[in-house]
Amino acid sequence: MELNYLYITVLVILSIAFIIGMLRFIKGPTASDRVVALDTISIIATASLVFMGYIFNRYIYLDVALIYGVLGFIGVIIIARYLEGAL
Amino acid sequence: MIIYVVIFSILAVLLVASALFAIIQKDLLYAVIATGVISLILSVMFFILQAPDVALTEAAIGIALTTIVFVITIRNTTRNEDEKEINSK
Repeated sequence: MELNYLYITVLVILSIAFIIGMLRFIKGPTASDRVVALDTISIIATASLVFMGYIFNRYIYLDVALIYGVLGFIGVIIIARYLEGAL
Repeated sequence: MIIYVVIFSILAVLLVASALFAIIQKDLLYAVIATGVISLILSVMFFILQAPDVALTEAAIGIALTTIVFVITIRNTTRNEDEKEINSK
């Protein structure tokens, strides 16, 4: 797992994207902003998990990202149905 | 290796920030969304600590089951924290 400059650049960009998503989550005035921020952070975390699994060179680590890809939208859908008033 | 320490520190600060947000917030739906964010950050931290099975369990439980149970609870009770006390007076 030798880190070259490409990997470090990608990790830094993913961290900045994570921080920006968290800023929107903390600032966002309505519930919809926060739910969309949660979804965005979830997708960024999935991408970073895949990338770190590639850096660690162990492909069994991709299962965590797979679980996030499969289950990540369920919480967003439940909160959206609650905001719609149809739950 | 220093880049993992930096990322881990950033995630720890964000974890404490969202935990404080979940405690202070009076609207309980926002607190539930903050719980989902806490679970997400914890999962990435477990992943960096080379524990992918713990991260797997945390992801499956935290993002799906906890959110569903808490939202159904909010649906059956009240959304705002102070509303119950006003109604009881």
